[in-house]
Amino acid sequence: MKVSLSWLKRFVDFEYSPSELADKLTMRGFESEVVADFSALEHIVVGEVKSAKKHPDADKLKVCTVTDGNETYNVVCGAPNVDKGQKIVFAKVGAVLPGDFKIGKAKIRGAESFGMICSERELGISEEHDGIMVLDSSCTVGAKIDTVLGETYDAIDVEVTPDKAFALSHRGIAREIAAMSGSKLKNPIEALKATSQSNDVVKVILDKKGGCTRYIAGTMKNLTVGPSPKWLADYLKSVGQKSINNLVDISNFMLLEIGHPTHIFDLKKLSKPMIEVKWAKKGEKFDALDEESYKLDTDHLIITDSVNTIALAGIIGGKDSAVSDTTTEVLIESAYFDPVVVRKGSKKLNLLSEASRRFERGADPEAVLEAFYMIVGLMSEVAGGTLESLVTGESTIDPTLHKISLSEDKLLKYTGQDINHKSVSSILDGLHIRNKKSKTGWECVIPSFRHDVKHETDLIEEVLRCYGYENIKSSYSFSSQMQYANDAEQPLFELKQHLSSLGFNQSYNNSLQDIEEVKVFGINPVSVMNPSSEKMNTLRTTLHRGLFENLDFNFKNGSANTLIYEHGTVFEKKGDSLKDIDQVSNFSCLVHGNFYEKNVHFNALENNFFLLKGMATNIFETLTKTKVKFVEDKHSYCDIFYRIVDGKKNTVGSIGVVADSFLNKLDIAHKTNVCVMDINTSFFVEHFNHNVKVKDVVLYPVVNRDLNFKLDSGTNLGEVCAAMKSINQSILQHVSPVDIYESKEEDNKKNVLFKLSFQSVKKTLEDNEVNAVIAEIIKVVTKKFNAKLRDN
Amino acid sequence: MSLDNTIKEIKTSFHSDLSNCKTTTDLENIRITYLGRKGKLTVLFDDFTKLPGSEKPKYGKALNILKTDLNNAFNKKLNQLNPDSGKSNDNSEDFSLPGYTLPKGSLHPLEQITSEIKSIFQSIGFSVAYGPEIDDDYHNFEALNVPKHHPARDMQDTFFIDPNTVLRTHTSNVQIHLMENQDPPIRHICCGRVFRNEAVSYKSFCLFNQVEGLVINESSSFAEMKGTLEYFVQEMFGKGTKMRFRPSYFPFTEPSAEVDIWNDKLNQWMEILGCGMVNPNVLANVEYDNTKYQGFAFGMGIERIAMIKYGIKDIRLFYQNDKRFLEQF
Repeated sequence: MKVSLSWLKRFVDFEYSPSELADKLTMRGFESEVVADFSALEHIVVGEVKSAKKHPDADKLKVCTVTDGNETYNVVCGAPNVDKGQKIVFAKVGAVLPGDFKIGKAKIRGAESFGMICSERELGISEEHDGIMVLDSSCTVGAKIDTVLGETYDAIDVEVTPDKAFALSHRGIAREIAAMSGSKLKNPIEALKATSQSNDVVKVILDKKGGCTRYIAGTMKNLTVGPSPKWLADYLKSVGQKSINNLVDISNFMLLEIGHPTHIFDLKKLSKPMIEVKWAKKGEKFDALDEESYKLDTDHLIITDSVNTIALAGIIGGKDSAVSDTTTEVLIESAYFDPVVVRKGSKKLNLLSEASRRFERGADPEAVLEAFYMIVGLMSEVAGGTLESLVTGESTIDPTLHKISLSEDKLLKYTGQDINHKSVSSILDGLHIRNKKSKTGWECVIPSFRHDVKHETDLIEEVLRCYGYENIKSSYSFSSQMQYANDAEQPLFELKQHLSSLGFNQSYNNSLQDIEEVKVFGINPVSVMNPSSEKMNTLRTTLHRGLFENLDFNFKNGSANTLIYEHGTVFEKKGDSLKDIDQVSNFSCLVHGNFYEKNVHFNALENNFFLLKGMATNIFETLTKTKVKFVEDKHSYCDIFYRIVDGKKNTVGSIGVVADSFLNKLDIAHKTNVCVMDINTSFFVEHFNHNVKVKDVVLYPVVNRDLNFKLDSGTNLGEVCAAMKSINQSILQHVSPVDIYESKEEDNKKNVLFKLSFQSVKKTLEDNEVNAVIAEIIKVVTKKFNAKLRDN
Repeated sequence: MSLDNTIKEIKTSFHSDLSNCKTTTDLENIRITYLGRKGKLTVLFDDFTKLPGSEKPKYGKALNILKTDLNNAFNKKLNQLNPDSGKSNDNSEDFSLPGYTLPKGSLHPLEQITSEIKSIFQSIGFSVAYGPEIDDDYHNFEALNVPKHHPARDMQDTFFIDPNTVLRTHTSNVQIHLMENQDPPIRHICCGRVFRNEAVSYKSFCLFNQVEGLVINESSSFAEMKGTLEYFVQEMFGKGTKMRFRPSYFPFTEPSAEVDIWNDKLNQWMEILGCGMVNPNVLANVEYDNTKYQGFAFGMGIERIAMIKYGIKDIRLFYQNDKRFLEQF
């Protein structure tokens, strides 16, 4: 909310500069920024245009001479309204305008220019940029600009949080300033009770189902529409609002002055001087002031003249009943509408207005009458009208003020610091909260404009906010509350560190994806009702999609070698209710390209299935102390797919080589196999470094033997190794193929060199013990796999 | 002849031959005689394998000592005769060649910041809790004192799954689940992804990561909240970091505050977290006795802190996963 310093001064005297005021308000809970601070502007003065001639080489430009009282400058100006004799805002060379716009010497179409004649927009006053700002002729040439504009246009932007409806006006902010500076709040407009000229009555009927708890109406006649007086237009301008005409301006002014929204209808456009507040019919159309037509629903509260809908209660007036240049008679509405009703109504139409913003946060029910009489008073002053009807209204509001006790003990316990009684009382006084010290604390009476103060803690907040958070001493007593700090996901962090040291980059991908792209993964997805874009309308069902995209992105940007992983939640819809949505923590890795490029030391090493297989074995063995096996299985988009299983045959992860056709369908750039690995996070967390039972290190020597077999090319070596191991598990510790080469003599044959390690945990092995096992192995392998032993 | 004697004999004759050796040709002959493929030492090892297992440990050790002794003496002599030979044999290596290029792995910056924040709070006794990213309106809003049709809902633009189910807008839903399942005292942080229906730009994304904390017991005060968060800021941003608490509003806390830290480079305050005393209505919603228990809560966005800490200007970089970006962490 833009707040003008001059306007605030109607209510309270203060000497703060805009930036001082912004700082002070910020520290009281109103985050504020300076919008315009003319005292901070250097080299900008009142200038006078001595001459203005057409630019010789540009139709729309003028070459002017401008004086600052001492010297005369050539200035090129593009504004159509610039003219000889005008007093203007002259930014000299070296000036810096709001928005960090630096003024320097310039040459424009061949004409030299020493400075700039400013528009309102360039000065940060308004959006007005059609012409330059022309100052009052009484201004002194050469005067620093803050002496002329600062008084009117110094302004700050105040962010008012949703709980502080009481501050949505100049009076509201001024009240805060008065409270913090100890000054007295002034009352610039007396809400004088005008007397009516006739006994006419505006009949007001409120719907029994609520929505409006107070409505006051009255009519005025003999009004003259015209431009607003300068003071009124200036105030509106000081907060960036355009002056329209005196009647409209008055309503806008009152809103910003005391924060209570009112509405003014053209009485002659109503079918009769009557107000009926009721609920809209479903589908009813309403043409609003903003030139839009809205379709209403049964929870929209409307104002009618018993025949036509003339306003959407608390949100916006109707187009057909609006005041215009020819208005002479008006009906003034001042009412209190239910915050939830206004909120729902405006949300449904996505129609926010200054009025709805205030009503939905809660207006001051006691301001209804005050605002009405202020409007009447201003109308007669500015537009010369008189109150015609008896002021009539309906109210179901309970005027009793809310009472709350604030306990001293509670204040101390909550704050952690003793605040002296006098400070508390004077803070409450400053906030217009009547208070009386009791034995145990304070008995408080809350003013009607502070309906946000409902509980004791609301009062504590007010006291602390005004006392100053910076004045509360920090306490470090928390060390007494130390307890065992647990983090269930710590093991996964260890896994991430492990993978990252192996050379993997960690990804964070968007959880929201395009439904079309999610669907192809074959899992029923969860979609968002109100996506911000169609590209992000559905929650991911797998992490693979994101990893594929990372591959594609990096590949296209020059890095084909990819080792990435992500840990995150994926979602699956299994039914319509929340509990039928599976939300599972997944951990996926993807590799592509090379692990090592070919170099002077060795040939390239591929990122492939075997890299992942080795890593999986290593990860499960070192981090979860689990020996894993790989079991072949089918997968919808992997050509080759293995489940990783533990000793109890639980699936603890998987490795797959993604089908090329699938990647091509998704348009993922790649040049080698793309392999993915998944790790079951709950298994990992549960088994992380658990159950380490140290075994004695075997000190007896290891005996290594090599065996060279000729086998059929198609023989599965994993099976051969398993068969060998099954022969003697007590001393044959390890078997692995170390070399394979195709047989030169025979097609369909391969020669495989196996390395076998023997070791006993009980003694040093004798040759004959090893030989016996070897002989058995040769026998079994020869028979079972149609193999032939070759000489070493 | 016993193996013992053979070992002694070979040792003596080797050293004697070596001391008489004057040229590299002589030395090569010695190498062939003793250390070569059919040399005396090799033969000795072959013999060894034929020994019964019970004798192996004893002789194995003696043989290894002999082998080391012979090799060392041989290399020493080789160096004397040919001082350059120590560096290489025939094919001299170029040690100016690059080392093996290992892939540059990294932890995502957001993971690093989260982990750093977790450690700081764990060091003062906070446990870590996790919870669902999709939750009902009650846990995300109502239980946190944000009723339907309350203007505070505008503070967080929400993605809906259905009218009563949302993508959580903060991790505070985890705090509600936690309190529903556990009696005070509570001293926890929760972290994870949260979602906001905002236009994607350099400064906002449709999701971000949050860490929130909750302390509930019979005594934790506003002053203690200040102390806790001051400790955090000094640990996270460095000792002596200038900070301030300023009043603010959140429906779930009262009084509420926002914490700014001073940025010397930009010469301005930067907001880094929100906090406050837990609103008694929230405690009542989880059936805690709010006349007995009180405490504070706080929350911060990881992206924001990462951007400040690493000087990142575009939030979208975190979710693009450009290797050239990731490898820098």
